[in-house]
Amino acid sequence: MAACRVLRSLSTSHLSPCFRAYQYHNGSLASLARSRGFPALFQVRNYAEKKVFQRDKPHCNIGTIGHVDHGKTTLTAAITKVLSDKALASAKRYDEIDNAPEEKARGITINVAHIEYATDKRHYGHTDCPGHADYIKNMITGTSQMDGAILVVAATDGVMPQTREHLTLAKQIGIQHIVIFINKVDAADEEMIELVEMEIRELMSEMGYDGDNIPVVKGSALCALEDKSEDIGVKAIEELMKHVDEEIPTPVRELDKPFCLSVEGVYSIAGRGTVVTGRLERGKIKKGMDCEFIGYNKKIKSTITGIEMFHQILEEAQAGDQLGALVRGLKRDDVKRGMVMAKPGTMKSHDNVETQVYVLSKEEGGRSKPFTSYIQLQLFSKTWDCAAQVIVTEKEMVMPGEDAKLTLRLQKPMVMEKGQRFTLRDGSVTLGTGVVTNILDNMNEAERADLMAGKKAREKKAAAGK
Amino acid sequence: MAAVSCSLFSSLLQSQTRSIRLLHVCRTLAAVDKGNLAKLRKKTGFSMSNCKKALEMHENDLAKAESWLQAEAQAQGWAKATKLAGRTTAQGLIGIHIEDNVGAMVEVNCETDFVARNEKFKALVSQVAKECASGATPLLEHGLKKEMMAQEQMKDIPTSEGKKLGDLVALAIGSVGENMSLARGTRLVGGPGVQLIGYSHPSTPDDDMLVGKFGAILALRSSGELTETARQLCVHIVGMNPKEVGKLSDPKAPNNDDETLLVHQEFLSDPSKTVSEVIQEEQLEIVDFVRFQCGELNKAEE
Repeated sequence: MAACRVLRSLSTSHLSPCFRAYQYHNGSLASLARSRGFPALFQVRNYAEKKVFQRDKPHCNIGTIGHVDHGKTTLTAAITKVLSDKALASAKRYDEIDNAPEEKARGITINVAHIEYATDKRHYGHTDCPGHADYIKNMITGTSQMDGAILVVAATDGVMPQTREHLTLAKQIGIQHIVIFINKVDAADEEMIELVEMEIRELMSEMGYDGDNIPVVKGSALCALEDKSEDIGVKAIEELMKHVDEEIPTPVRELDKPFCLSVEGVYSIAGRGTVVTGRLERGKIKKGMDCEFIGYNKKIKSTITGIEMFHQILEEAQAGDQLGALVRGLKRDDVKRGMVMAKPGTMKSHDNVETQVYVLSKEEGGRSKPFTSYIQLQLFSKTWDCAAQVIVTEKEMVMPGEDAKLTLRLQKPMVMEKGQRFTLRDGSVTLGTGVVTNILDNMNEAERADLMAGKKAREKKAAAGK
Repeated sequence: MAAVSCSLFSSLLQSQTRSIRLLHVCRTLAAVDKGNLAKLRKKTGFSMSNCKKALEMHENDLAKAESWLQAEAQAQGWAKATKLAGRTTAQGLIGIHIEDNVGAMVEVNCETDFVARNEKFKALVSQVAKECASGATPLLEHGLKKEMMAQEQMKDIPTSEGKKLGDLVALAIGSVGENMSLARGTRLVGGPGVQLIGYSHPSTPDDDMLVGKFGAILALRSSGELTETARQLCVHIVGMNPKEVGKLSDPKAPNNDDETLLVHQEFLSDPSKTVSEVIQEEQLEIVDFVRFQCGELNKAEE
């Protein structure tokens, strides 16, 4: 059962056609997941009983947000119904969506419904979370990163006080594209609907979205579900999905991005030279391409002179391939595990980043005690790990089971980018999982010295400052 | 309802046609003036359908419609509250209010954490805490009086406006559209020499509104004004979740991490000391404390 559940969540998100970012972002997390017997094993074991996924359309992840009574779940049910009539989805009942079982993603309990369907143009993974904390966990673990969202507002009520919080959340988890559905128009009249539309556009503008041009669709999810008044029922749903198709851009496939590989091992082969191994996270590489090794405060240029996979020569390697690359003019000691081989100029190393972290509760295997600023933790990301100092911003302390905005300062600059995922460990305890939300300027000499200084020195300085 | 609006349609049609000619906004069938509807909604924040109903009933008279809405709000709130009564409220906030040596801490629950983050809800929780504190009678003898209040008692606490706390919550349910409940409350009254300090986590920068997912009120005796250390002790109680104050002579837990007696715990802001060492240094005497964690009642029931 548990295996099936894992697979179900995988089939909507992990097996999605475009190589989604999270899948490759993070070597160490992937290996962490693997050690829990996570993706590879289950996929193989259950393969025969499952329908084969047809990868004929680009994939996109969306979600619904809105007030509990405004019909998010009914809308989701209506979308699957309308699309299933065209044989593009299997219809889901309201209670199937509403009572989504708790799932465990990377050891974190998460309350979320995953549904899949397709339009003529695209395949969708649809996420519906009950609360703010669930969306944040979803973002941090990368269970299904949302590329866009549908905001549902009932025409009978209009914008609710908490709609503001819904939009704050959308901003926080990086949703830039929103389509609005004004629901329950069967219970309202023209004036009300028009005013509700005005209100939403105003609020959207206030929250930093393009309120004037955001598509607004008016309809009734219930009518669509019950096959009544076609104009505001089925047709409205079709129109909504047309806008979703057009408005929310398909994310760039990992395959189409500049190449990048996290080095797992470095070998010296007599008569050939130095070979680095690892999985190509994105892009494609060919023999003769220039590359750059970054990490541990170093940056080395080189050229790929050969690619091998399973002891066979490869003309071109693609994202997802586990390979060995022969590189020119490097000694074995020049490169080490944890460095990143990338297209020159596309990646940078950083030692000061802003992150959003979910701190595991004791039940999830985390710490039982809270922590405060200046705690030293080990940060694992891609194939590297590095000591990091934690600064808790916006709070006095972080309790287990909470999410928090943390600034992390690394002992050495390592390859980091926005959206990169990582794990924080304290000795043998996994303390939390996070995602990089913002890159800050690298530390200067003085800040670096402060980082190394102990608590006593910090207190002395603070006392002198007073 | 439909019938009412239909009859209103026809009666208003004549006056409407004239104004339509003057306005460039050309709506053919308008029972209710759109401008007024927008104004009323913006001003009162009541749901679109209620605003419309109010205008229909008072023939587009803004002032009358508004006063009707305000008068109706309480009833509407109770109606909504009754309708939503069955739904679980697992989210919410803890609110603290301390005035001199009277302190109150309350827990108000709602359905989603979106609402828990909303300013209106925060204001409600802090108002509930305030009303709770103001009902206290001063304590003349030494010591500390601690009262715990369950849901039913909370509802009946009178407010300064002559209503009950239950009415306040019903009003909020009417405007937010989510079920809410007054889960519990506590009132601490300190005698002469006892000082109270509170902390809520995550802390809000605004000192007038102590609300958060966790809260603690600490009662202590000190020779002078309360210092930052006293506040840090309060933070410690929220973070380390001690069960009792304990005495120095009480046995320590075998494992440091499992320690539930406050005096033996490592001090959160400086783990090199225990709490008892800190209070000795600062010459404080801890009388008692109360700690609330949002939703812990629900968990205990499960």
